[in-house]
Amino acid sequence: MKLRNIFFIALIAFITFILLIPTLLGSIGVIPPKDVRDIAKLYLYLTYNQYNRSLWAASPEAVTAIVWDYRGLDTLYETMVFYTAIIAALMLYSEILGYRDIVGGIGLSFIVKRGFSIVLLAIIAVGFSTILHGMLTPGGGFQGGAIVAVAPVIGIIVFSRRIFDYSKLSYKYLVALRSIALIGIVLTPLIPIIVTLGNAFIFQNQVKVLARFSYPSTIIDVPMGGSLTFLNTFEGIAVFTAFMLAFLILLYSEDLSKKPLEGEDIGY
Amino acid sequence: MQAGIGSLEDLAFILLGITSLTSVLFVILAVKSRDLLMAVIYSAVQSTLYSLLLFLLLAPDIVLVYVAVSVGLLPLLTIMLVKKVGRYET
Amino acid sequence: MDIRVIMFLTTITSLYLNIAISLYGVIAKPNLVKKFIALTIAQDSINVTAILMGYRIWREVILQPPVLLNWNPLPKDLQDFVNRAVDPLPQALVLTAIVIGLAVNVFLVGAILHLYRHFKTVDMDEISKLKRGVIVEETA
Repeated sequence: MKLRNIFFIALIAFITFILLIPTLLGSIGVIPPKDVRDIAKLYLYLTYNQYNRSLWAASPEAVTAIVWDYRGLDTLYETMVFYTAIIAALMLYSEILGYRDIVGGIGLSFIVKRGFSIVLLAIIAVGFSTILHGMLTPGGGFQGGAIVAVAPVIGIIVFSRRIFDYSKLSYKYLVALRSIALIGIVLTPLIPIIVTLGNAFIFQNQVKVLARFSYPSTIIDVPMGGSLTFLNTFEGIAVFTAFMLAFLILLYSEDLSKKPLEGEDIGY
Repeated sequence: MQAGIGSLEDLAFILLGITSLTSVLFVILAVKSRDLLMAVIYSAVQSTLYSLLLFLLLAPDIVLVYVAVSVGLLPLLTIMLVKKVGRYET
Repeated sequence: MDIRVIMFLTTITSLYLNIAISLYGVIAKPNLVKKFIALTIAQDSINVTAILMGYRIWREVILQPPVLLNWNPLPKDLQDFVNRAVDPLPQALVLTAIVIGLAVNVFLVGAILHLYRHFKTVDMDEISKLKRGVIVEETA
């Protein structure tokens, strides 16, 4: 065991030094940095510039404009990777999807149930508000979706599984809601091309020099980012339903979860 | 005014240093602990220190995602896993 | 000048130490749940290092996150905003990286539960011994 310990200490020291020596010698620039990069200055200057509307994104929040407008294709493919990972997690249990659970439960005590009901409404309200104001202040689809996803997961533990098995929020409706949100994410960058019959760019937000289509840029008098509002809403609903589905599958009782494993010991 | 901004800048950098040094301690405790429930709790404390570090680096969008994911969803998932497979590491 | 450079170097060094210790935890500990916890710590530390590279020294103005607060800016306000804000590009990259990391971690937990129900243990050394037995009796 002594040789193994020495080897692992040498491994930790090796990883630390091989990351630290190039940093001290200046491989990422001066430490600490003196100024931001030129492309960052360009994005910050153009994102809400009302005097030079050739490349603006109509939202005073630079991070949302970069995620959904200037680098919109990266986010589209990231949504695809997320979707595939959740499908892979669901397909491990493909025989028992949508079943009601065998073992019934009664949940936790009365005080916990009443206290949690108040907190549940607050979490859902904060989460949906964060999705909706993502183009004005820090917020957006991913943030709001992750916040809303906490509430039903704790709901499965505090009330028992009956509240989801015998209600409208079971497996089929969640999958349908998720598919509608994903169709919305795919259609919003394609609508400019369909409406103008080919004279627009993909992910077009505002008027460009060569293409004359634009989403509206204000709601009465509040700046709205054009397509950023719709994309944030659809992405928030997609993230929230995906996490709820994954946790519904993982929290089955052991009796029902052994069903996909039947017959493995005889080689089937 | 210039002296005020200078000392505020020094304070921000000193807070960055102290927070990151404290998080090294909790990472060592999380990796060395044999009780898996305590390892999850040390990891959640380290995530809280990281969210303070992200706030000091002026990234408010990331703080919202990080708190919801790393202090809310991941410890819940891991505690459910520890309940199903066994609490102590042999 | 001195205290700022020292504190920034301390932050970078401690983040690199976090990455190294959690990678040691992934490689050296035989329990699958411990490997999973150390993997999540490694992912978080690398994301924070990416955002740290977007900070900068103050240079006589107070820094601001990349959010414009004035909804009718004049060109002078826009130039002021460009001089004060931190870099928004690493934040956009890390935002998607955190959510993808969570989806892959959920899939990993499903795989660990499936392994536990099949082999009745989560210790990697014992699983490889049992698996060796299964392969030997299948090819015999």
